[in-house]
Amino acid sequence: MLLTLLSHQWKANYRSSVFQKGLVLNIIMGLLILYFGAIFLVLGFALHKLLAEVVPGQSAVAVVNGALLFYFLIDLFFRFLLQELPVLAVQPYLHLPLHKRNLIHFLLLKSVPSMFNLLFLLIFVPFMIMGVMPEYGTGAALAWLFAILGLTFFNNFLLLYFKRQLSTKPVLTLLFGLVVAGLMLLDYLDVFSLYKVSQAVFAAVLQQPWLAVVPVFLVAGAYLLNYSYLKAHTYPEELTVRRQTVAEGRGIAFLSRFGELGKLIELELKLIWRHKRSKSLVTMSVLFLFYGLIFYRNEKYMDDFAILIFVGIMITGMPIFSYGQFVPSWQSAHFDAILTRRISPYQFYAAKFWIFVPVAVLSYLLTLPYGLFGYKIILINTAALLFNIGINVFLIFFFSVYNTSRLDLSKGSAFNWQGVGASRFIMMVPMILIPMLLYLPFKFMGAPYIGVAAIGLIGLVGFAMQKQLLRWSASWFVKHKYKLATGFRQQ
Amino acid sequence: MIAIKNIEKVYSGKVVVNIPELTIAAGEAVGLVGNNGAGKTTLFRMILDLIRPSKGEVYAKGLNVAQSEDWKVYTGSHLDEGFLIDYLTAEEYFKFIADLHGLSDGDVSERLLPFMDFFNDEILNQRKYIRDFSKGNQKKIGIAAAALSNPELLILDEPFANLDPSSQIRLKNLLRLLREQKHMTMLISSHDLSHVIEVCERIMILEKGHLVQDMQTNENTLRELETYFTV
Repeated sequence: MLLTLLSHQWKANYRSSVFQKGLVLNIIMGLLILYFGAIFLVLGFALHKLLAEVVPGQSAVAVVNGALLFYFLIDLFFRFLLQELPVLAVQPYLHLPLHKRNLIHFLLLKSVPSMFNLLFLLIFVPFMIMGVMPEYGTGAALAWLFAILGLTFFNNFLLLYFKRQLSTKPVLTLLFGLVVAGLMLLDYLDVFSLYKVSQAVFAAVLQQPWLAVVPVFLVAGAYLLNYSYLKAHTYPEELTVRRQTVAEGRGIAFLSRFGELGKLIELELKLIWRHKRSKSLVTMSVLFLFYGLIFYRNEKYMDDFAILIFVGIMITGMPIFSYGQFVPSWQSAHFDAILTRRISPYQFYAAKFWIFVPVAVLSYLLTLPYGLFGYKIILINTAALLFNIGINVFLIFFFSVYNTSRLDLSKGSAFNWQGVGASRFIMMVPMILIPMLLYLPFKFMGAPYIGVAAIGLIGLVGFAMQKQLLRWSASWFVKHKYKLATGFRQQ
Repeated sequence: MIAIKNIEKVYSGKVVVNIPELTIAAGEAVGLVGNNGAGKTTLFRMILDLIRPSKGEVYAKGLNVAQSEDWKVYTGSHLDEGFLIDYLTAEEYFKFIADLHGLSDGDVSERLLPFMDFFNDEILNQRKYIRDFSKGNQKKIGIAAAALSNPELLILDEPFANLDPSSQIRLKNLLRLLREQKHMTMLISSHDLSHVIEVCERIMILEKGHLVQDMQTNENTLRELETYFTV
């Protein structure tokens, strides 16, 4: 019976409407998966050599062992943020003559073949072959991999249990993140070294391979914990993560001063705040503000303008890109109402514009401290901000009429491809390419700062012409509204 | 067949269902009527152990439905689209249900035979997934799947809703046929007073979670119900 259920799961996946939409998207996704898979594989095969160069004098295996416990903690943190609970999948089976215990096993086993559990194998298996096996022999190496596999599944089931208990309190997730960061700090300050603990633990597994059974007990324990909890709670309303259903938030008094436009902005903010998908997008956008750290710390990038312009566009614009890529699909569930009510297309787009502008300015302000890496970052980001609110916003509006797929707002946005069309990827190209093209001629003339200024100036011109551009966006939208409405009506 | 003892469901301080005592005998066909929010669906969900009652128990053949799963074997039910596995085709779904009850493919075609008029050639051999059917056709699939196992107890929530007039009449005849031939116990909620009276010999009115009337159907029932619901 469990097999039938798992075969249904398989059908649910490959029949999901996401797969059946658009060949282009599937190809792009396939390429992305191949690309990242290849990166991980190469990393796995080269890891022992890389580590020998970066940390000479230490065995690569010892270094990896030391990092493993940190890896599992960070893994757990990201699972808290990103992993979904498989819950509603059992709903159509509850009234049928199936044993509850089978349904629960199904619910739990279903979580095993997920990306979170399998992606890491691409690194660890090659590393085991290249790094661990030559030093410790095949048996010990397999035990080592087995222990890691066990701990991954332990994380998986631990998360399922705790997320079900705690998901109403996102603060706790943050707290957990802080604890992990704190442990790293303690390690750095030599107060308490989790690194050494981790090294000792996994060295022990390599010395005495039978220790690999310990994770098995951990997995079994976590599994049973979930099982006994679910066994007592197989009611749909208890299975679904308990959310406050009390309507929260009143009107925002300040916005009502702006008349109809204010009302629409308020409506849109409520839409963002009251749906899972949009809310998780906000969280991701906040995380993305740290994107700059990858580039700004690196001397090599700091000398280059083009990279910094790219980063500037991304960090001042990421929230509006990620929200904008689904305009107007956010309203897909009530799109017919939008079209039939007294809302002018101009106002509809103006409301979005006036959400995007403050958000972009806010990300700009929040990332100002990056200026500590060099004042030129501030100059570039200012130009990027102007370009984002003057040009890129309207590029988003231009591409918005091609977003004809309905969006399901109740799911989280991480790894959620529902409603994603090929136009989303194409959209990013001009938004990055145009500022580059503006900058390049000045670069060859040897005046990169003027190039940056040109980007800002063009942005400013666009922003000054917002009325005309919005009016143009509105008429562009009107031209395509039937196509949009038809697309949104299809489930 | 079903005995309800002191059942109560409270949602955030508000009582949505409160029934001190209710017994449904085997072979009886019970129609449940009541305005929106009367608690019909909540009651059905508690009988099907889909909602944990705040208080009280539901017994099917003497066993508490929340503790024993025996009732699943002889109960067929369809409340809403959530009961369907929407990424299967109609045939696959029927096959799955049949497997659960150990029916052969031949059994399935034989048992679906009376449903052919009702299906109106729009359900089988359509090469599409259940999620792509219209609401009315999804309902037809759900009802047929519920009746497929020849259950002793059939529970349907608003089976007539979303159906076209011909289908409503066909369904009415189907349900009567199932009663005559298979002696199913039925529990049906409906907003369509005349249909439900024609199928059920016992009508109960639910109002704000309370059972306010429980009567045997006779030639005056429709008039009584209409008087009751006229405000």
